[in-house]
Amino acid sequence: MDRNQLIKWLEAPAKMGHKYSLHAVYFCTGCGIIEVPPSITARWDAERFGVLPTASPRQANLFLITGYVSVKTLKAIIRTYEQMPEPKYTVGFGSCPINGGMYWDSYNTIKHLDKYIPIDGWIAGCMPRPEAIFVAVTHLWTLIDKDMADGYKRYRKYYSQYRANQEKVLLGLEWPPLFPIEAG
Amino acid sequence: MRIVWLFLSPLIALVAGVLLLGLSRKIMARIHWRYGPPLLQPVIDIIRLFSQRSASHGILFDLGIVVSLAGSLIITLFLPFGNIAPLSGSGGMLVILYMMLIGPLGIALSGGESGNPNASIGISRNLMLAIGYEVPLLMVLLAVMTRYGTISIVEIVRVQQASTWSIASWPLVVSGLAYLLVMPAMLGFRPFEVVQAPQEISSGPMVEYGGSYLALVSIQHALSLYITISLFVNLMLGGSGNIVIFLFKMLVVFVLFLFVNAVFPRFRIEQAVRYLWRWPTLIGLIGLVLVALVGR
Repeated sequence: MDRNQLIKWLEAPAKMGHKYSLHAVYFCTGCGIIEVPPSITARWDAERFGVLPTASPRQANLFLITGYVSVKTLKAIIRTYEQMPEPKYTVGFGSCPINGGMYWDSYNTIKHLDKYIPIDGWIAGCMPRPEAIFVAVTHLWTLIDKDMADGYKRYRKYYSQYRANQEKVLLGLEWPPLFPIEAG
Repeated sequence: MRIVWLFLSPLIALVAGVLLLGLSRKIMARIHWRYGPPLLQPVIDIIRLFSQRSASHGILFDLGIVVSLAGSLIITLFLPFGNIAPLSGSGGMLVILYMMLIGPLGIALSGGESGNPNASIGISRNLMLAIGYEVPLLMVLLAVMTRYGTISIVEIVRVQQASTWSIASWPLVVSGLAYLLVMPAMLGFRPFEVVQAPQEISSGPMVEYGGSYLALVSIQHALSLYITISLFVNLMLGGSGNIVIFLFKMLVVFVLFLFVNAVFPRFRIEQAVRYLWRWPTLIGLIGLVLVALVGR
């Protein structure tokens, strides 16, 4: 904790708590997850930034989508995302969640992940180095500070559109809507 | 004055427990050759968790945590803390023996309500481990009670202050050894980290807790760390007439078991119970027989 930020802590303790205690849900998709073990262990030590993997989505507030998302994985991602308590932040890791990457013409891969769940930031590259995770984390701090990491608010606001997109690609969802969907 | 300490001593226990949690993360990081999180990281986590939205799973889910937290807060009143002992004159060791089971029991009630299979496995492991360490612990406590002829912890601390620490006196050294062997299980440290086991059963009973529920569980965890170590210091290391020396003794014991935690992998549950019912129980039984033979 920086001593210069004491005023900020007293003004908005909740916001500072969200900034410096980002617990990431340990959810593996694609090849990007191979960069996560080195970044949480001795070599790069994500814990000094307050980033820690948790085993359960209920305890987490950061969701790293680490690599290409197949249609089948998307269903698990949506369920995990909806289980996380608000406020929650999502970061797309690698070029595949951004636009499909090297799977740009695959029939079974999601090309634009932000059509299905809201994304707060992207890490470009194939693969991004573990340092890029920390650049993303510090950037996420700035976004949280300026109230710009508002993915969970967007999800609530445009839920009917997100839900329609999800149902379109997954051919129907077997769970009820998270938020009430207004008619029309 | 006594009323003030009645309110102040759970607060001190809470602060000490949370600082111990932060210190444990820092020390573990240094053993792994990492820089580690700031010392106040558990405080930041708790602030974050309290400000998050959380989902309840029923009335028992809410009440179980409250029961567990209340049980832990009450024990802190019965434990002498340096020269301060708000209620320990009236309670003694038997009250603590009863109340110590309320912590895991409350978590079990609350986690069972969530209906998650991982939580059920975690709860069954938690209670099995509790049965595992309660048997040797009971023998150790019986030996201490027989040796000093009293159930009052204040009295036991006073006798130790006058003569020597229990762990350094002749027949009780055997019981002290048994107590040292069960301490990692009581603290939930490796090699007995079977209850949470994040890699196996995704943090066990805690799997469905989020937001303020998880914050209360972490506070309860901090308190239970404080209670376990403080009981050891009072019974075996002679307590203290001074708060600072008492906290220093607690710190030494905590760091010692943290080193054990850092280098060991995890037992399976049946290995843990087999170990607990073999070596600490055997040594505790020998200690009890020795105390009974040598007498007071």
